Amino acid sequence: MSIQSEARGPPSGSRGPYWFGLFWPAPSVSWQMAFFVAPLCLLVAITFWKVANFQLSADFTTANWVSMYSAGYFWDAFLYTLFLAAVTTVLISIIAFPCAYALAFKVSPATRRLGVFFLLTPFFTSFIVRVYSWQVILSNDGILNSGFGAVGLGPFNMLNNSFSTIVGFFTLAFPLVILLHLLSLSNVDRSIIEAAHNLRCGRVMTVFLIIVPAARVGLTLAACFAFLLSFGEYLSPSLLGGSRPPTLSVLLVDTVKSGNHWPKASVIAITMIVTLTLILFAAVKFAYHKSPGADRD
Amino acid sequence: MKNHGNKSNRKGIARRDVLKGGAAVAAAATTSMFLPRYGSAQDGVLNLLAWPGWGHPDTVGPFEAKHGVKVQVKEYAGGEPMLALANSSPPGTFDVILTDAEYVQMLRAGDLIVELDPNDYPFEDYWPNYQRFPLHWDGDTLYSVMVRFGYLGLSYNMEQYTPKQLTSYSALWEEGAAGKVGFFDWYLPSMGCLSLYNGNKSPFDIDEEAFGKLRETMNSLAPQVAGYYSYANTYSSLANGQVWLIPGIGEWLTLGLRKDGVPVNTHIPDEGGIQWTESFSIARGAQSPELANEFIKWMASPEGQVRCALRPGNETGIASKKGWEKLNADHPVEAEWLRMRLDKRNMMDEWNEGKIVIRRLPFQQTIEDWTQAWAEMKSV
Amino acid sequence: MIDRLINGLFRVYILLAILFILMPILTLVVFSFNINRHPRLPWSEFSFIWYEAMWNDPAMQSGFVNSLIVAACVAVIATFIGFCTAYLDYRFRFRGKIAILAIFFMPPTIPIVILGMVFLVYLAKIGLFGELYSVVIGHVAYCAPFAMALVRMRLAQMDENLEAAAWNLGASEWTTIREIIIPFTRPAIIAALFLTMAVSFDEYMIAWFVSGLNETLPARILAVLQGQVTPQINAVGSVVFVISISLVLVAQFVLLVRRPQGSR
Repeated sequence: MSIQSEARGPPSGSRGPYWFGLFWPAPSVSWQMAFFVAPLCLLVAITFWKVANFQLSADFTTANWVSMYSAGYFWDAFLYTLFLAAVTTVLISIIAFPCAYALAFKVSPATRRLGVFFLLTPFFTSFIVRVYSWQVILSNDGILNSGFGAVGLGPFNMLNNSFSTIVGFFTLAFPLVILLHLLSLSNVDRSIIEAAHNLRCGRVMTVFLIIVPAARVGLTLAACFAFLLSFGEYLSPSLLGGSRPPTLSVLLVDTVKSGNHWPKASVIAITMIVTLTLILFAAVKFAYHKSPGADRD
Repeated sequence: MKNHGNKSNRKGIARRDVLKGGAAVAAAATTSMFLPRYGSAQDGVLNLLAWPGWGHPDTVGPFEAKHGVKVQVKEYAGGEPMLALANSSPPGTFDVILTDAEYVQMLRAGDLIVELDPNDYPFEDYWPNYQRFPLHWDGDTLYSVMVRFGYLGLSYNMEQYTPKQLTSYSALWEEGAAGKVGFFDWYLPSMGCLSLYNGNKSPFDIDEEAFGKLRETMNSLAPQVAGYYSYANTYSSLANGQVWLIPGIGEWLTLGLRKDGVPVNTHIPDEGGIQWTESFSIARGAQSPELANEFIKWMASPEGQVRCALRPGNETGIASKKGWEKLNADHPVEAEWLRMRLDKRNMMDEWNEGKIVIRRLPFQQTIEDWTQAWAEMKSV
Repeated sequence: MIDRLINGLFRVYILLAILFILMPILTLVVFSFNINRHPRLPWSEFSFIWYEAMWNDPAMQSGFVNSLIVAACVAVIATFIGFCTAYLDYRFRFRGKIAILAIFFMPPTIPIVILGMVFLVYLAKIGLFGELYSVVIGHVAYCAPFAMALVRMRLAQMDENLEAAAWNLGASEWTTIREIIIPFTRPAIIAALFLTMAVSFDEYMIAWFVSGLNETLPARILAVLQGQVTPQINAVGSVVFVISISLVLVAQFVLLVRRPQGSR
């Protein structure tokens, strides 16, 4: 490849290969080729292989695609996963925004720092252990139900359903989304907010007409992260959701575990990657291109 | 930059020192990463592939002390993950493989275990029906030495059910059980019990019609099910009252919970129950085959058998009659819990009454057919 | 008056959100001191036995050491690759750059359960499966983009003329990297080292798939969680939590102390 210095390079005198320019892409290109692109290609190839006696052997058969795509439970899992991830994304975005808004505009800098500190703490606790903790909290004789029991309510079934699965997704993505919202809100120019107030734009109107559009890119990216994380998460649907019904990630691990069926698992994996890529692509397009009115930057 | 001031130069040196230090740490870390850790050609270690908990000091401690070795366990939860691990690990990774009887034949098919000499092991101490356990032998050739067994039936919450209400697996479909039925996420014992319920005398050897009926039975039960649990979650779901009934598991799970004060027990319904067994084999290419042999011998001895029976958190039946006698003499209370008292009705009676069938792999369908049916049930 | 009410409501809202986030952490700390094997209410008896069990569990110890080794290696390699890629993006324009960057940023967008499976199959095929460096390989691909993003953001704040000035004074491009770029991006490099280390230290899925017998701590925890019932997990979680939080506080303290004497 030919590498050109951005307009502002040093006056180049020497001949021969431009070693300096060739150095910089080398680490990422060589590493990602060897340990990411090659594995991905193998993944695609494996979907056409077969398994006999728990061992993989190279082949060219479309049987894995056919049997996976004609299985009703595969499409059930696909739709359920999409549904869960979409619901989680919407809920997290809606619930996180007021929190980030309050932290950005309604509290003192000291409180904000404290808040950010607490938002960061989960990143320093094992996610597995936190998910396990939710079991103790949500189970039938768990902490919440004991609380409800004390005032004569319940017990409520809060484990092994979509609710507990979504709680798991929240555990993973909620703090991150608040932080991303906070980040994009703090980049919003405060003078346009004041200008809006001066023009007698109401509180709520200001939020929706000024702040949300101004922070749109960040909010969309945050939603992308929420979707991405919940779409592929394995622990919540299996440990909190009781694998009932299974999501794609549960199905994938099950397929590997029961019978070592890597080819079918690869079909699931590729379907997930393609779906995610399409959805993220659409979201990024929405975030950057269709900008209404005054486009900043 | 040569002409630049001293200040930046000094800073540069300091920084280089820091970088050098960092590089040294990284280099040290990297080197240690490539050093052999466990297993690979390391003396004094016996590598065991087994169900969780087998590395407990109470169980293997005396053996470790006697031979001055460490028993290192890689754990699995389910026969298929075990096969996957055994198949994907290079030879020499494991010395001893603990497996359920029906997987011995699969290990043999993959040429992953070696022949054993029957004269090495005290089979004369065993109960008659375990001296030549069918799935461990091929003709007169021995491949695996049995250590433990137990029965699978219907495990239940004692505050909600009495054994009288559980004379049939049909209790699972009753209205009161809606949302209170759980499963251990392993197709074989779960489907086996439902196959028994369908009236199949040999539940794993069924023709296509019976298999179709089994799938109908499974799917009709699915709406009652609260969840399909991993090994550990099966414990907690029974312990925290999330579910009241789990078919296809047994005292291997409920006994430990009951000792911890959780009111759960296992009943074998009239349609019958399933027997599971655990046995030791020596892996092909084992690093220390002699030590592996010693280990199996010890586990089959009365002392080792008692420790097998009392493995913390997972107490079960054992194959050696001498082991039973020692247990009765040394631990009468535990023998009572385990239903292994020689002077009372005990586990052997159920076997002798013909209520129990041996768990096997599917005969007329492939494993894939069965796991697919299981996946289908889970998504209903 | 209404303003005060609204502000108060917002504060309550923040408090509830933080309570939700902290709830599992508090629960695990509390139950790590509960003697009962099966965590359920009522709380039975205060005890340190799970900490003792953890302390005496060789698998946990080796898992902890393994995790530290892996995290250190991942931090160094991923930050190096991230730094190079960030400078590549900052400095050069060439055909195919977008493609390189797109592929570079792809790993974090793939669910880790898939990455774990992909790495297992691939590394087993090329004979690199089941060792600590297998985990490092998997984690670097996943972590490098985070390092890249941090360094790139820092470079964006740099005055473009700084490099040019150095060249005009006769410095070679390599010297400029050493004397200008690295010092300027040092805060981002340090942050990248810490971030990638933290991500690697907590990553469980890739580690679980590819580590084989050399389990890292999270892989060990996951295996325990699927394999047996022991509140050791709570104890381990609490200890890891306390250690990481102390590290963060120390880092903050160091930054606060250092700030007065010449920050950029």
